[in-house]
Amino acid sequence: MLSRGTLIYISQRLVLIVFTVLAVSSIVFLGIHRLPGDALFNEHLHGTQYELLLHHYGLDRPLWDQYTSFLSGLLLHGNLGESLVNRGVPITPLVLRELTVSAEVGLFALVFTIGLGMLLGVVAAIRQNTWVDYLLTTTSVIGYSMPSFVIATFLILIFAVWLDNFTQGTFYFQIGWTGRFGTIGEIWLPAFALGFPYASIVARLTRASMLEVIRQDYIRTARAKGLRETVIMVRHALRNALIPVITILGPLVIGIITGGVIIENIFGIPGLGKEFATSILNRDYNIVIGVFTMYAAMIGLANLGVDLMYVVIDPRIRY
Amino acid sequence: MTPISLRILKALALAGAASLVLVACGGGGGNNSTSLASNQTLSFPILSDFGTLDPAVADAETDQEIQQNIFDGLVRFDQNLNIIADLATAVPTASSDGLTYNFTLRKDVTFSNGDKFTSKDVLYSWNRAAAMQGAYATNLSAIDGYSTVSTNKVSGAALETLLEKNDPSVTLKGLTAPDPYTVQVKLASPAGWFLTAISLAGSTGWIVDQNAVKQDFDNWWTNPATAIGTGPFKMTARVPKQSVDFAAVPNWWGSPKPTLTKVHLDVSVNDASTAITKYEQGGYDAVGYGGYSSLPVADILRIQGTSNEKAQLLLQPKVRTYWVSFNMVHDAKRQAGGPFLLADGQAAHDIRLAFALAVDKTKLVSVVCQDIVCTAATGGLIPPTLIGYMGANQDPLAKFDATKAKQLLQSADPSGTKTKGLTYTYDPENALNKPTAEFLQSQWHDNLGVDVSIAPVSHSQFIQARLKGAYALSRDGWQADYNHPQDWFDNLWGKFVGCPDSGCSTGYDTAAYDTLLAKADAEPMPAALADYKSLNQMLIDDVVYIPLYYSVGSFLTKPYVKGFGSNSFFDHYWNQVQILSH
Repeated sequence: MLSRGTLIYISQRLVLIVFTVLAVSSIVFLGIHRLPGDALFNEHLHGTQYELLLHHYGLDRPLWDQYTSFLSGLLLHGNLGESLVNRGVPITPLVLRELTVSAEVGLFALVFTIGLGMLLGVVAAIRQNTWVDYLLTTTSVIGYSMPSFVIATFLILIFAVWLDNFTQGTFYFQIGWTGRFGTIGEIWLPAFALGFPYASIVARLTRASMLEVIRQDYIRTARAKGLRETVIMVRHALRNALIPVITILGPLVIGIITGGVIIENIFGIPGLGKEFATSILNRDYNIVIGVFTMYAAMIGLANLGVDLMYVVIDPRIRY
Repeated sequence: MTPISLRILKALALAGAASLVLVACGGGGGNNSTSLASNQTLSFPILSDFGTLDPAVADAETDQEIQQNIFDGLVRFDQNLNIIADLATAVPTASSDGLTYNFTLRKDVTFSNGDKFTSKDVLYSWNRAAAMQGAYATNLSAIDGYSTVSTNKVSGAALETLLEKNDPSVTLKGLTAPDPYTVQVKLASPAGWFLTAISLAGSTGWIVDQNAVKQDFDNWWTNPATAIGTGPFKMTARVPKQSVDFAAVPNWWGSPKPTLTKVHLDVSVNDASTAITKYEQGGYDAVGYGGYSSLPVADILRIQGTSNEKAQLLLQPKVRTYWVSFNMVHDAKRQAGGPFLLADGQAAHDIRLAFALAVDKTKLVSVVCQDIVCTAATGGLIPPTLIGYMGANQDPLAKFDATKAKQLLQSADPSGTKTKGLTYTYDPENALNKPTAEFLQSQWHDNLGVDVSIAPVSHSQFIQARLKGAYALSRDGWQADYNHPQDWFDNLWGKFVGCPDSGCSTGYDTAAYDTLLAKADAEPMPAALADYKSLNQMLIDDVVYIPLYYSVGSFLTKPYVKGFGSNSFFDHYWNQVQILSH
């Protein structure tokens, strides 16, 4: 049960998120209209025909007029308008659907990041200065030294191409996204590619933190009491070692969310990240604004979630 | 830490990894046969969702590649680019004065919702398209009354109301229906290109169902329930930017009857290399179709080196030509200036010719296209397979003569001041444009001693600026809309398109060009061809362009997909495709 103070804190943060989202979407709205070029003009469509289309989308109106229409649509109806490139496609349901796709991949990536990172960190700490430690530490260094798009390309090469060839097409990673929600088979590799660099950071941090904690007096006391090593590590050492890890969870979640821009394009995942890239290239103003709005909301909520985790992990923290 | 706890951790890690791989991995394989497969589903990607399926406003290749399977025109192109009857019973001939066409319509045609097709649908579709002023509205511009309808500013439901009551402001005067199965078209003036223009797939000459359209005038095509045409396929499901499904129309009126029962378009993959990988995994039956035939050169080279996939690769010359445009007019609206101006007489002519002759087009094709995805444009602006192609090596601007180029430049610009500080501008979105720009830069440097800067500008901004005369030297090109030279000479040079000051890359406009173009456009095809070739010769004589290359499309098709392919213009129709057992 959340305390009253925590509920007030959450309410305050939610209000702040709303204002942040509005600010971000307004800045993007004003900025994107300053970009040269637009979505409608092409070699076949210019002159009067082009002007008619501008009028159809209201793009011939003064910017301030367009901005107030945009704001009222967003605030009163949650309406982000219609795509300029793909006619008749309403943006709010589109980006909401894409948000769920990105969130799905992001959550799996987070599981990889935390699960794999902590596992590697704990093992490396427990087996300090052994070949296991050296192997895991080297893997971590490779992980956070390589950009996610390089990792993704290698993973596709290994699991989608080489494995396919090697097993004569009986055993491989199938690229693509077939339904409304992805399957584990479609998600695990992109999620791994997205999460692995961050897992390496978590592993390094966990290892350092664990090494510090397992030398504490209370760990020695626990051993003296005759507790099993697993209980000591999981209940006493790991829980305390987690606090520094949690502190980097905020920027880490943001990294995973924004990292989707590259990973989704490489793996052909129809999420917000892929939309982000294509809509900017296409100058599809309305979708760009919609995507940024969703990103702002997602990052705001993710940060709030991380802050609330402190309360769970560290009883000393109260809001 | 005890050995036991480490073993547990290791075991957990191994088990997790193994289970992930097991869950994640799928199977595939195949063989060849000549009998039909039980699952007649064709699956392929399009690398970006279509813009619209409304023939009145469609303007992208992808839109039209899809639409040609859902809608019909009165006439259409066959696979050899001949005009054949579609919803009409025969291809009509023009009256002796070249002004009137009488179309007799088939009586057995129904829309996919069961609505009967009649002449009323033709009038509605064409009036609507002319009034909506989409990119290809001008395909109907020869019809008497177009100049009035094209000034329409009413849109949406209000336009539907006007169309329903045949308001004169949105009714083409020259378009009438004497009876339910006859359409008479009267042109404002003779136009030998009219039939070709209305044959363009999925465009303004194609027919929609008013009952479906009026349910949502602007977006009727987005809903499978109202995306209705007379074609062999109909939309059954659509998730924007993810996938679209089409199904064969039961008891379709035309022939051949479709064998495919379903066509699945994957819109979620934007990257061509990723699409090829998925194709190789068995995730698609074909790649390169639907307007995305520019597969990466590296992938094509790799596939050509394989024994099993090489035969699945189709390299098909397409109807796109690329060239360099000079800015030839400098006035208050065209700011670029430069040393290539028509008004500067022989010296500017010689500089243009020097720049053209200094480029080794054979080497360009080898360096930029690896001799695969393009061929040297040596036969004029119009590429092979199209009416108006001059023939291989007939364009003198395509020649490479570094010595003559140097001489011409030295006599026209002995001090080098005129050609100092030049910039070649291009749009980098097309993967070939950057290496082309770099190649041109090196050729002009090596063969002329002229240093030309290269400047990338994003496509939309680039086109807008180029058509306003903002660049002295720029990337240019055109993809044929239909098989008629008018499509090229009306849309790129002369006063018809708006030169020198509106919608014109070069600014090139001479009285002789305009006069001959008007004559050619009015003539029927065999007679007009000589005039169109003379127009191309005029452009050559005035050195309006530097020909670079004709593009070559690349397609991958599984051996069990029979009948799918592409001609120089468009993909084969889906009702000709079959899936064999595999």
